[in-house]
Amino acid sequence: MAARCLISIPNRPDFPRRCPGGNAVTDTTTILADTRARITAAPDVEALRAIEREVVGKDGIVASLLKSIPGLPPEERKGAGQSANQLKQAVLAAIEEREASLGSAALDAERRADGFDGTLPPPRVERGTLHPVTQVTRELEDLFTSMGYMVLDGPEVELDDYNFEKLNIPADHPARDTQDTFYCSSPGSRASLLLRTHTSPVQVRAMERLEPPFRAIVPGKVFRQETTDASHEHTFHQMEGLVIDRNVSVGHLIGAMKTLLRGIFKKEIEVRLRPGYFPFVEPGFELDARCPFCTDGCSVCKRTTWIELLPCGLVHPNVLKAGGLDPEEWGGFAFGLGLSRLVMLRYGIDDVRHLLGGDLRFLDQF
Amino acid sequence: MFISMKWLARHVDLTGITPEQLADDLTLSTCEVEGIERFAPHMSDVVVGHVLEREQHPDADKLGICRVDVGGDEPLQIVCGAPNVAGGQRVAVATIGTVLPGDFKIKKSKIRGVESRGMICSVRELDLGDEHDGIWVLPEVSEGPLTVGQPVAAALGMEDWVIEVDNKSLTHRPDLWGHRGIARELAAIYERELLPLDLELPKLGDGEPVQVRVEDPACSRYLGLAIDGASNGASPDWLRQLLLAVGQRPIDLLVDLSNFVMLDLGQPNHAFDRDQLAADGIVVRKARSGERMTTLDGEERELVESDLLITSGGAPVALAGVMGGEGSKVGDDTGRLLLECATFDATTVRRTSARLAHRTDSSARFEKTLDATLPAAAAAHFARLLQGLQPEVSFPCALADAGDWADPARSIHLRGDVVRRDLGVELDDAAIASILSRLGLTPTEASGGFDVAIPSARALKDLTMERDLVEEVGRIHRYGSVPEAPLVGAIEPPPFDRRRQMVRAVEDRLAGAARFHQVLSYSFTPDDLLERTGCASGDFVRADNPVAPDMARIRREVLPSLLGLVESARRERDVVRLFELGKGYRPEEAGEDGMPREVHQLAMVLALPPAASDASFDAGAFFQLRAAVDDVISAAGVTPPAWAAAETAHPAAHPVKQVAGSWSAELEGCGFVASIEPGVARALGLEGELASDVAVAVLDLGALLAALPSPPTYRPLPKFPMVKVDVACVAPSEMPAADLGAMIEKAGKGAVRDLQLFDVFRGEALGEGKKSLAYHVVLQSDTKTLTDKDAQKFLGRLERSLEQQGAALRR
Repeated sequence: MAARCLISIPNRPDFPRRCPGGNAVTDTTTILADTRARITAAPDVEALRAIEREVVGKDGIVASLLKSIPGLPPEERKGAGQSANQLKQAVLAAIEEREASLGSAALDAERRADGFDGTLPPPRVERGTLHPVTQVTRELEDLFTSMGYMVLDGPEVELDDYNFEKLNIPADHPARDTQDTFYCSSPGSRASLLLRTHTSPVQVRAMERLEPPFRAIVPGKVFRQETTDASHEHTFHQMEGLVIDRNVSVGHLIGAMKTLLRGIFKKEIEVRLRPGYFPFVEPGFELDARCPFCTDGCSVCKRTTWIELLPCGLVHPNVLKAGGLDPEEWGGFAFGLGLSRLVMLRYGIDDVRHLLGGDLRFLDQF
Repeated sequence: MFISMKWLARHVDLTGITPEQLADDLTLSTCEVEGIERFAPHMSDVVVGHVLEREQHPDADKLGICRVDVGGDEPLQIVCGAPNVAGGQRVAVATIGTVLPGDFKIKKSKIRGVESRGMICSVRELDLGDEHDGIWVLPEVSEGPLTVGQPVAAALGMEDWVIEVDNKSLTHRPDLWGHRGIARELAAIYERELLPLDLELPKLGDGEPVQVRVEDPACSRYLGLAIDGASNGASPDWLRQLLLAVGQRPIDLLVDLSNFVMLDLGQPNHAFDRDQLAADGIVVRKARSGERMTTLDGEERELVESDLLITSGGAPVALAGVMGGEGSKVGDDTGRLLLECATFDATTVRRTSARLAHRTDSSARFEKTLDATLPAAAAAHFARLLQGLQPEVSFPCALADAGDWADPARSIHLRGDVVRRDLGVELDDAAIASILSRLGLTPTEASGGFDVAIPSARALKDLTMERDLVEEVGRIHRYGSVPEAPLVGAIEPPPFDRRRQMVRAVEDRLAGAARFHQVLSYSFTPDDLLERTGCASGDFVRADNPVAPDMARIRREVLPSLLGLVESARRERDVVRLFELGKGYRPEEAGEDGMPREVHQLAMVLALPPAASDASFDAGAFFQLRAAVDDVISAAGVTPPAWAAAETAHPAAHPVKQVAGSWSAELEGCGFVASIEPGVARALGLEGELASDVAVAVLDLGALLAALPSPPTYRPLPKFPMVKVDVACVAPSEMPAADLGAMIEKAGKGAVRDLQLFDVFRGEALGEGKKSLAYHVVLQSDTKTLTDKDAQKFLGRLERSLEQQGAALRR
């Protein structure tokens, strides 16, 4: 049975100071009921903390109740102490309960996420890009280096000697007709310079520098003096391949080319070799691959189901000699892959001029 | 080049071989076939008609109304304006619905009120020649009148297929520039007989031979055959049709025969009207400067001293190997002719035809280098063909044959083992010999293989060494039957290539974390762009024959290529980040071989909208790019260099806002970072709406490779806590931040673990000519816990050192 309080407890925090000390008897039941009501109505955790301070804080109601005990008659003291403590426990329990419910309401609100629309566009991610020619070149470099090929580099401004003479294409050779060469002059130089028309000059440079046997590829820029349009460009990328070894045959060349095409197209590709004339190989071939994009003719293969993919052949004995190798002892094969063309095939690019045009709208797609 | 199947059949039996199969087989063994087409396909729609009668049109004097039987239930009524149409003729009728060349569709029509249900065709309307003075009256055939209603193509045996061969695939094979050469290949492929061809000269008279003098070695052989009693006129249909099939307009018999011989044997030749030549005959010589002649196309051409001429009576009568002269060409009344079959130097002919931009069937063949035995065969072929058509012709005198030539026929030793090794096939010697024989090469067994006799037609440049014969065997045997073989031998990983690794690391970092777009540019930089970027000075390698006059210069450096892209890129987006790894060429640093020095550069451009006035000191393009540059250098495995203020890093660099990087006095500088020169920015169109904050950087890849690599290492995590101190230094405006940083490092005595500038401030409160730089400093020791006392000592040392340099610590 709770003790009676002689004064009413106003609903305000400064209540304890207005509660007379001494022999005052407080009706804890009323306080509890009143406080509980306030707790239930508390809108947030801050309000709960205020009530907590008011009731069970250092200078709160419970403290003042306890402080008033010495002034009570001895027989009431025990009961007053107990009811003050009960009040404290009951209020703390109510606060805890309310706090838990407030917390879960906040969680609920967070979970409701009113107005959320996941289909609003996200912020744009700005990104950089590797040029598609770089991407395809790397893929091929990785493929070939895994088969023991070195990756070599060679000059774009080249000597006539390496671009033609040492490749068995002497001056006035008819093959020079088909090579629309940019001949160059360099102040102070009497050398016969040109922009290389193919990556093949590196064949002889490699033979001069490396001890056979070796395998090498040479990706790089090449140049042809011709009028540009969607399928012709005066500057494009090629990749030369060269294997120098003993007893290299056409069979080895076919094997290597099939491996190459598997690497490029990620599937088995039927190939055919047909005669092709390139002065630096003998025999020389055009390698056609069964069109990877269709089974019965499409625009890529011009309805033939074959695409002319790369010229190749056994290295001409005269080229071996120009590279300082004895054709009786050493042989090899070489091939030239049109990187620009391969990039266009891979991505379905319809205008070769995009490759070196530097248009961000193009570059950003890769 | 066009090849007619019917023409080929004169040399080899092609029974049972479809045009498609023939095209495939030629492609796989010999040369690239680009397409096959039916010859004059409309001739299978045009039918033989029999003109029953012709009546005068009531309302038109020149028109006739014909009733023509085309095999239907009733004759067709056709209005025809040709003067030569008459009852009883067999004619070519295009009935309603037939489409003639030129996409001309025959429709039912009314002509002057009279209905016409078809068209009686002229030769020209059928695209079979130029005759248009009347309708084509179909020839009689020996089997009797042509069956009415039958397609004309079938009735006259005109069905043919035309095969187009890629000329480039014949570059090395002059022997394939005629039908007989192709036929020889087919004979080898199909193992059929190459039919004999009579190439014996007919009996020649003993009259006075035509005088021929060759004064220039560019003509190695000049052979002249005199012919009398020819009568010129239209060629027989078989000849016209073969020529039409391969795209030649029939002209007249003598010209057509000359063309036929060229297209049959590959030897160009020329028929002169002998009455138009001077009595002293022919002299072959080079042109004299200023000499002119009119070629038979009516063009007057100015000659130069490298042109080879055929002259008579001192005046040019033909441009050797390219074209004949107007004055001596054969005409309708030519009866006495001189047939020229000669061998001219390939380069001479090519130069002349290239100079005149006039490539003819003749020059195209001479450019391939023809052998000097061929003229005799060609002369005999012409003579035999003409004699066959006009038995009355005579050959009054011996051949004129001048020049200094040798038969190139040779023998090459071929080892069977070499064939097997190079091709990678098991092919016995007998099979090898069989292939060679079928190709007209004659193998004789000799030690370890064969001595192979190479006929003149193939011996000049095509077949000169053993490997050439390996190809002959391989292509006829077919490369498709060569088994695929793996390369054998140890696979060694290629030696480590630091340059390539560095290139990849740079590309990956820039295209990845740094969000740059990689560009690949042309090596030509337009003059205009070089001018606008201030990069036009210095020596350039130049193309002698550029694609455009202002595109001759080969770039010395990569940066201008990127700068040329900024304006259009900025139109696209606010932030533009571009890089290119590429090469430039420096003539002034040529090597001993005369090649310009090649520099390998990384160029970067960062363009932003102009910075806001309250932007942080490091928000601008310059500092962002500097951060990216240091980052990419680290990614390349090199410690970033020290950056010092520079003044002349690059013409496109802002005169003040530029720094150059170097590692030490011994090492070459690695490049620069700069804001763009304001004038260059404007010249590039970066003003107004496109005004931009642009920074550029160029790094030399060679210098990066020469710099000491900084291998990635692990540093143990610190054992002792760090102390964070913020310091603000007030320094004279001109004192570089780098000096302040160095003082802070020094004052830390090795304990400065991190140093980050977070504010730069200038203002009245500091006084004129002063700036304040504020840093977060992290102090940390490997051996003890630093205390507040240590921090105070550090500040004390820093304060003293700042004061010695005219700066101060803001406390």
